[in-house]
Amino acid sequence: MPPRLNPLGLGSLLRPASKPLSSLFAPIVPQQPQRAASILSSLSDNTGAYNKRIRRGRGPSSGKGKTSGRGHKGQKQHGKVPAGFNGGQTPNEVVHGPRGFDNQFSVEMSPLNIDRLQSWIDQGRLDPSKPITMKELNESRCLHGVKDGVKLLARGAEGMRTPVNIVVSRASAPAIAAIEAAGGTVISRFYTKPAIRRILHGQADATITAPNSFPALSSDPSKPFAYRLPDPTSRKDIEYYRDPAHRGYLNHLVKEGEGPSLFFKSPAMINKDRAKAAGTGANAKSKSENKLW
Amino acid sequence: MGSKYLLRPLRVLSGPGICPRIAGSARMQYHSPLTSRSITTETPSAGSNFTDTVSSTLFDSSPTTPTVLTTIYDFPTMEPLEFAEYPSNHLHLPLRRDILHKAVVYEGDMTRQGTASTKWRDDVHGSGRKLYPQKGTGRARAGDKKSPIRRGGGVAFGPKPRDFSTELPRKIYDLAWRTALSYRYRRGELLVVADGADIEYPKTRFVKQIFEKNHWGNADGRSLVVTESFRTNLFRALRHAGEEGRVLTTDQVDVKDLLELGRVIIERSALDSILREHQSDLLGGIRSVVAQQ
Repeated sequence: MPPRLNPLGLGSLLRPASKPLSSLFAPIVPQQPQRAASILSSLSDNTGAYNKRIRRGRGPSSGKGKTSGRGHKGQKQHGKVPAGFNGGQTPNEVVHGPRGFDNQFSVEMSPLNIDRLQSWIDQGRLDPSKPITMKELNESRCLHGVKDGVKLLARGAEGMRTPVNIVVSRASAPAIAAIEAAGGTVISRFYTKPAIRRILHGQADATITAPNSFPALSSDPSKPFAYRLPDPTSRKDIEYYRDPAHRGYLNHLVKEGEGPSLFFKSPAMINKDRAKAAGTGANAKSKSENKLW
Repeated sequence: MGSKYLLRPLRVLSGPGICPRIAGSARMQYHSPLTSRSITTETPSAGSNFTDTVSSTLFDSSPTTPTVLTTIYDFPTMEPLEFAEYPSNHLHLPLRRDILHKAVVYEGDMTRQGTASTKWRDDVHGSGRKLYPQKGTGRARAGDKKSPIRRGGGVAFGPKPRDFSTELPRKIYDLAWRTALSYRYRRGELLVVADGADIEYPKTRFVKQIFEKNHWGNADGRSLVVTESFRTNLFRALRHAGEEGRVLTTDQVDVKDLLELGRVIIERSALDSILREHQSDLLGGIRSVVAQQ
């Protein structure tokens, strides 16, 4: 009777032969398709990044069990007490009413000092060969955002040595003097808040003002800007930007012998007015003569 | 139909040793994509397009920057064409589950529509008249008919339209993008294909065969294909093969999409533009408006 072969033993005999074979092919045998378990289910923030939610009223061992951190008795335990309630006295907001007021017409200019401007040019962060506008200033982080405009100020004016062409909302007289002494130019231009937003988003040009041009002009004619800039409408603004002393962009509107004020009258105009007044006086006389009663 | 792709034996690019340049170099270990395709014993044909050169990517990597290599494949034959080098801080970042979690939650919040809307008791049309006297009717006291406890009344504190979006610092989000791509790369699940990936016919049947032969389909965890722009045939074919995978353009894809399916098949230009878009944490430094030479 031949010895019976144990199938398990046979398997164990064969296994050593088959094992190296499989390991030999391991690098090139295609891997079995892995179970497609997405990493999404195992994502979580670091444990320290979250605070565990406090579960109130869940037994004494929780620390916030019996009274749930609300103390004993009264309105505070059961609900909420109105804000400013002083236990029946006159409420706080009546005793200490609002003080002061909010001036809606005030503007907050972002200050730009000359020493900072010169420093940015020295660091190579601003290009003095191109016009410097609020867009360049903001993008180079010389200004961290523009509020209601940019005002050029004169701190460190003695250090200004690079000629620049700069367009701002306002400029102080010593700052203008310093820029021009270095061979540069200053233009002050009127900007509204929406205009500032569009300039910073590249939807409008900060410098070009061509009336009635649509679409808005741009330095690259193939890509015109979507928006034009508005001009001032209030007397105060118009007068500021008509003033050559401010290097206002509307100073070309001021005729020879006139001042930037809209109420300014030249001697010629005054004479004309006088003549007119005299004429109306004569008319009035003749009228009164023709009157019946 | 499509037999050209399906009958051609697909060669396998096995990991180490395929590129002699890599073997002894100080580069980081080269990870070949997991290739679970059928093996043929056929040697590469003489007419193969594969070049053993490493093409540099868009990103200027200084000699000190460690780089990793990836293979550019032809789509959809998956014939290897060339190697490409990527900085290791683009494609070989360590896995940060917390960063990925933040990005996925941020995207999920951003995607929420937030348009659920109900009428509270103030919004329900009707009078505020007291239904019946407070006392003397024998009924439970009641206010107006718009009360939340009455039929036809308002919903007590029901949902109102709102914005669910949360904020995440741009640098963290950009890091998450590259971490997600790195995770895919390290697992060999990032298959970079040459530009212009498309198929010959806009047929779902056809694309299903391609996915099956490449082991990209449902049985292998589905696949995401990312292209730089819309590809008519590929998009139309995959539109009805959602069980096999998805196809998205670069501007449609987000971090969660990259992590969701079994593997990411991405066009080289799409990968480049994603990496270029999401490197704000690497650029850092000084912001300037001076044109770079």
